[in-house]
Amino acid sequence: MKHLVTSILTLFLALVALPIVVVTNAQAEPLRIIIDDGVIEPLPFAVPDFVAENAEASEYAAKIARVVAADLSGTGLFREISKDAFISTVTSFDSPVQYADWKAINAQALIVGAVNVSGNKVTVKFRLFDVFSGAPLGEGLQFGGTTTSWRRMAHKVADAAYSRITGEGAYFDSRVVFVSETGPKNDRKKRLAIMDYDGAGVQYLTDSQSLVLAPRFSPTGDRVLYTSYETGFPKIYVLDVASVGRQALADQPGTMTFAPRFSPNGQTVVYSLSSGGNTDIYRMEIGGGAPVRLTSEPSIETAPSFSPDGKQIVFESDRSGNQQLYIMPANGGAAQRISFGSGRYGTPVWSPRGDLVAFTKQNKGRFHIGVMRLDGSEERLLTASFLDEGPSWSPNGRVIMFMRESAGAGGAVSLYSVDISGRNLRPVPAEGGASDPSWSPLLK
Amino acid sequence: MDSGPLISGIGHGALLAWALIGGLFSRAPEDTFEVSEVSIISAEEFAALSTPQPSPDVEVNIPTPPQPEIEDTPPETPVVETPPEVQQPPVEETPPPAEEAPEVVETPPPATEVEDTPPETPLPPAQDNPVVLAPPAEIATPRPAPRVAPTPVVAPPPDTEVAEDVVEEASPDADTQAQNEPDEATAPEEATDVIVTEADEPPSSAPTSSARPSARPKRPTPPVETADSSTSDAINAALADVQAEDNAAPATTAPTGPPLSFGEKDALRVAVSNCWAVDVGGTSSRVTVVVGVSLDREGKVIKGSLQLIGSEGGDDAAVAVAFRNARSAIIRCQKGGYKLPIEKYSHWREIEMTFNPEKMRIK
Amino acid sequence: MTHLYKAIFIVAALGLGACTNPDQLAGGGAGGAGAGTGLDGTTGLASDPRSPAYFSQTIGDRVLFAVDTSTLTPEGRATLTGQAGWLQANPEYAAIIEGHADEQGTREYNLALGARRANAVSEFLVSQGIAGNRLRTLTYGKERPIEVCSAEACYAKNRRAVTVISAGAGA
Repeated sequence: MKHLVTSILTLFLALVALPIVVVTNAQAEPLRIIIDDGVIEPLPFAVPDFVAENAEASEYAAKIARVVAADLSGTGLFREISKDAFISTVTSFDSPVQYADWKAINAQALIVGAVNVSGNKVTVKFRLFDVFSGAPLGEGLQFGGTTTSWRRMAHKVADAAYSRITGEGAYFDSRVVFVSETGPKNDRKKRLAIMDYDGAGVQYLTDSQSLVLAPRFSPTGDRVLYTSYETGFPKIYVLDVASVGRQALADQPGTMTFAPRFSPNGQTVVYSLSSGGNTDIYRMEIGGGAPVRLTSEPSIETAPSFSPDGKQIVFESDRSGNQQLYIMPANGGAAQRISFGSGRYGTPVWSPRGDLVAFTKQNKGRFHIGVMRLDGSEERLLTASFLDEGPSWSPNGRVIMFMRESAGAGGAVSLYSVDISGRNLRPVPAEGGASDPSWSPLLK
Repeated sequence: MDSGPLISGIGHGALLAWALIGGLFSRAPEDTFEVSEVSIISAEEFAALSTPQPSPDVEVNIPTPPQPEIEDTPPETPVVETPPEVQQPPVEETPPPAEEAPEVVETPPPATEVEDTPPETPLPPAQDNPVVLAPPAEIATPRPAPRVAPTPVVAPPPDTEVAEDVVEEASPDADTQAQNEPDEATAPEEATDVIVTEADEPPSSAPTSSARPSARPKRPTPPVETADSSTSDAINAALADVQAEDNAAPATTAPTGPPLSFGEKDALRVAVSNCWAVDVGGTSSRVTVVVGVSLDREGKVIKGSLQLIGSEGGDDAAVAVAFRNARSAIIRCQKGGYKLPIEKYSHWREIEMTFNPEKMRIK
Repeated sequence: MTHLYKAIFIVAALGLGACTNPDQLAGGGAGGAGAGTGLDGTTGLASDPRSPAYFSQTIGDRVLFAVDTSTLTPEGRATLTGQAGWLQANPEYAAIIEGHADEQGTREYNLALGARRANAVSEFLVSQGIAGNRLRTLTYGKERPIEVCSAEACYAKNRRAVTVISAGAGA
């Protein structure tokens, strides 16, 4: 009996002893560090000439690759590695990628493409590779079109690569409508023109018989609102881009209208109307109908711009004594001032992302293009010069295009673009003088 | 009454009591020490146990609405399709007023052919990852655009031009400028959020379950009917086992010296910072990601161990980009391996790095 | 005989009096329009007080403004008073008042500022008795500078409101 008890006791103790050893198994805590500082540098990429799959394609293969490379380099976020440095070449669209060769020249992204032309039909294929992980980034894509739209296909390739790598929306396949200027400052001839965002393919929409100002694209990119003096007085018109037909809007006798903009649904036009020396903001439906007055102050209210959701309008007013920015509901109503820095603020434009407003600021004799949050905080000035004005946002809200005029009798006016971070300020090549840019949405 | 067995029982009981209780007391302070030894499991095994296959690349595709997703890479199986993008786009020209008549909108056609995956073969894509090997050494590259680096002290190496070559230079710890970094502690709440679906899983490097010690010696079944001697043998055997385990491990586990000093942690932080490219104007600059990684004794990233633990802010696309940039930073800057003291290996074998670009946005 | 001498004397005096500043014929505002053939047989010459050329050159067709203002200066009022007088005397003419601004501002705001300046002139003329339906206002903002240097000397001349006479009252 006692043996039994002892045995059981022993067994029990033995069993109890086991867990003690096993119990505490907590691992050492992982080392935790915080990285809150990094580098800002362009990502190196390589675009070998696209493979021409037949003889007719050879003319386009190299050109398309160049446009893709220029699009990416032009953002300031990418740096092209010159083909002189390439170790391996791409001779066929489907051949395996020698990642080691691309890694050796520090390319982090590789774009391989091929072009096929038959008659006037062009087919462009491409694949994007993340050299670093040795794998493709996303699927390959193929585009088809005509020989005259080869540039658009190149832009679409670049858009796909850009979006996949940065996570941002695309913007290369877009156009800009602007005012082309010629002649001396005191006798400027202006006419409306349209071009690809990178300056290619300039086409004129009006002649220079009458003064035209500030064209603005519709949300679908098919129409343009602008101000024209063809009747001798400034009035707003809407022009159809495809047919170049135009139509006057809001023609009230004895008044002058200018600074028109579309609402995000393309149905409403908001504009400034000057009567009896006072300028206020009005809206009207594009199809016709009575204008609705949105502001009634004795001060100047102008340069209205809709928010992307169409519910609010940002505009400039000098009701406080000098030009400042205000936001009001899209149907009029109490306006909140959002600009509070020193100087004068004008030409506000709401970002397509909805969170920022770009503007022109004048302070101490200098002009700046800047951005601020909707409540006026985080104001950042991106440029500074003798005369910068008229910002317009890219479709993805990352880049701002504006015009810059130099001083003096020989002052030349041209278009520039800058990244929202303030980096990558660069001119936009356009023939001759150019002003008042308006960026279209991404083309479909 | 039988005093013999009684005294024996008491004596044994006392002995056992001492063994049990006394052992507890003496062990307490060394708990942690013992723990690491007890869980005799190598780093690789552990990694295999607790980390499911992450595949960073896949994440990348998840987001981005515009793109035809589905990548899933490897297999050729053409998913081809990807119709959406394909067509339409290029086509027409519309514009042209004046000059030519509007172009015909061609509807593109084709079929999507191809595309889709990669030229295949080469690598079995799946790797997911970090090609831990041979990280390209760039960095030194010259660049036309100004480069913004974390600390002024860490100047880019002078050999700009040479760029392309795999040139390595100065090890990161040159500076350890004290940036007053918060240091761990704050890491915390990054906590998971949204984020990329698959892969992420929680796994922090802490084990989700205690590892079972391998090869536990079999415990002799206490024979009830045996005589005392056998029971005492059993007891002795039990004790012996316990002690054997105590002594067992040391040789196979990581050295655990004192925790890393601030300077050592900062050196690692600076090393990774130098390769962490931030797109300050982009949506990914609003995303904070926490990345977990395991290093081998040489300071190199263990293949397959790098994964996204959590993120805050941004949508799926932005998080994927932020994670990819963080991953690149860790892998690119390891070079021959991060310089960390080997004697403290167990303290830096598992690392959680939080990449927070908030300060960068104001630059 | 004395009558003849007197007549000759008077004619000579009148003849000399007519020779006002010939230089003014060439100058005058570039923005000023103008001088078409006069009505009622006027010659259109600046010497003819009933001609638009006289209006723009002798009376002055423009007033200047200080930066970012549309308030009339005393000189401006004096000029406008003269304009009002001429318009009263020549009721067959209408006027378009152009408002301008210098380049130191954004495009839309300058259009509005030009409109204010033109309106200030218009209101003053109306207060001097000119019928409102003879006047129209027009703004050019900063689009039509007459001086092209980028300095205050030029800016001052560009900040103006010009009254342009046109035939046809109450157009």
